[in-house]
Amino acid sequence: MMALLAAVPTLTPPTGSDIVGLLPEVILGGAFVILLLLDLITPASRRTWLAAFSVVAIVAAFGTTVWGWFDAYNNPHVHGVFFGAFAYDRFGLFINGVLLTSALLVVVISPQYLNRRGLHYGEYYSLILAATTGMMLLAGAASLMVIFLSVELLSISLYILSGFSRTDERSQEAALKYLLLGGFASAFLLYGMALVYGETGHTQLEQIAIAIHSGIATVDPLLLIGVVLMLVGFAFKVSAAPFHMWTPDVYQGAPTSVTAFMSVATKVAAFAALIRVFSFAFPDLYPQWQTAVVFVCILSMVWGNLAALSQTSLKRMLAYSGIAQAGYILIGVASSPHDAGGTIGALFYLAAYSLTNLGAFAVITIMSGRGEDLDRYASIRGLAHRRPYVAAAMALFMLSLAGFPPTAGFFGKFLVFSAAIKSGLMPLALWGIATSAVSIFYYLRVVLLMYAKPDADAKSYEWSKTTVSGGAVVAFTTAGTLVFGVFVTLLYTVATAAQQGALPRL
Amino acid sequence: MILSADPFLLAPDAFPPLLGLSALLFSIGVAGVLVRRNPLVVFMSIELMLNAVNLAFISFGRFLNSEEGQIFAFMVIVVAAAEVVVGLALITQIFRIGRRLDVDDLNEMKL
Repeated sequence: MMALLAAVPTLTPPTGSDIVGLLPEVILGGAFVILLLLDLITPASRRTWLAAFSVVAIVAAFGTTVWGWFDAYNNPHVHGVFFGAFAYDRFGLFINGVLLTSALLVVVISPQYLNRRGLHYGEYYSLILAATTGMMLLAGAASLMVIFLSVELLSISLYILSGFSRTDERSQEAALKYLLLGGFASAFLLYGMALVYGETGHTQLEQIAIAIHSGIATVDPLLLIGVVLMLVGFAFKVSAAPFHMWTPDVYQGAPTSVTAFMSVATKVAAFAALIRVFSFAFPDLYPQWQTAVVFVCILSMVWGNLAALSQTSLKRMLAYSGIAQAGYILIGVASSPHDAGGTIGALFYLAAYSLTNLGAFAVITIMSGRGEDLDRYASIRGLAHRRPYVAAAMALFMLSLAGFPPTAGFFGKFLVFSAAIKSGLMPLALWGIATSAVSIFYYLRVVLLMYAKPDADAKSYEWSKTTVSGGAVVAFTTAGTLVFGVFVTLLYTVATAAQQGALPRL
Repeated sequence: MILSADPFLLAPDAFPPLLGLSALLFSIGVAGVLVRRNPLVVFMSIELMLNAVNLAFISFGRFLNSEEGQIFAFMVIVVAAAEVVVGLALITQIFRIGRRLDVDDLNEMKL
């Protein structure tokens, strides 16, 4: 008991170093409020300025994240900042970097798409910034309270964003489904938190870890139910089966640029929180939660890949593929307490997946028609003959998602599978390899369709011209997918440093 | 630690019934979400679940003699209000574009 009390940081007012630990989030949150006001004085025809302002804010936050990467290493805050409520560590900053890159790419690609769909309102950028702030807070959250609040900040922003097309029935339907199921899942997450708090007496991850480690909190059914309920809440957010029911409908109904953002960023942020809570705060409960994670993991891989086979819409196919990818990342989580490579692999996979998947959605975004998304398989038939570069980039993204070398996706899969084998989870690795073999069918189907001859009598689709911004985003994601696939050590070194710096450490 | 001089501190035997009540409310909420078809009622069931959580937090906080449970309950109340704002706006909008309010009718997107 004395050890527990000694570890409680003394209560003092937040100091400058506390604020420094939260600087990227503060910048982005501030920009979100300023953007709301700027929207009032910006004429409707000049809304691209708001996008430019968001880009400036995101770049500034990214700059402070990079600076913090070195500062967190040189001046470590082993108990976190703000009395241990927030972890200022390389793990959170790595995730911040991935999130900010995704947000930047989405903001760059949005104005053209929103104009074409007639949805160009200023609130869009505020909501993207609010959601990104929530995700960054979630990545660094080291207290159950901060985890809950940041989950809700990002979710509520995304509920509104997925219903952003106010007159489109599908968009409204997507938003309501997301909201109802999201609220349902939040309640499970919260009940889990309440039970964990009740059993350990603390809401801060470090204190919870100490309480479990030192045996103050006995491992009894109530605590285990709490842990499992928290897993359910997180599994919903990362869209892992069997908590994935919302994913295909929401991804399909939401405007494509929003889908691009939430398919990538939500998954990255929620996985960051999942890894921090389970691998770093509950390592002593590993034997208990491992079974549940393995179950969710296998189910996601099987269900996601099988359901993706029969899809005829690109957005829906990518939604099911996202469920399967969540399964692969969970392999890394399941093997993390045995082998540090599990967490490193999961981080590598998250970065690689976010670049690749964002690229794939960027292609759908820049090809969208006037007032509608051209996401049917039929509408991409023969794309390679009209837009050879875009089709080549899309083919590369599909190969990376399927896990072909030399793309980033291959090494993501390689790292999590090898971590599973090293930590004695051989069956999990075999399930992963078998289901990725299935996934090749539906990924290559898209490639084959794009390179097929267009039907002579089919009506020609009005693919919009690829603009500079759209081309830049596709070029950037293509380059990232290739660079991280060829120069693997670049990303691997950074992910290793992130894993080593992660808090809480017992 | 639990045996403080606070006269309002929950006696240990008053605690299991409170937790049981919270679990019961939570289960009623889950059943409501799964069974009811009107999005408004589904929404109310989610609120019931959140309030069950609040009850659990507050009784745990009182039992452990720590303030964190009560603070957490306040956070939950605030967030639930924010969620209601967005939810009601969405339901109104769906009603306006001419849909019957039934979650089974929200099936524009199917395989």
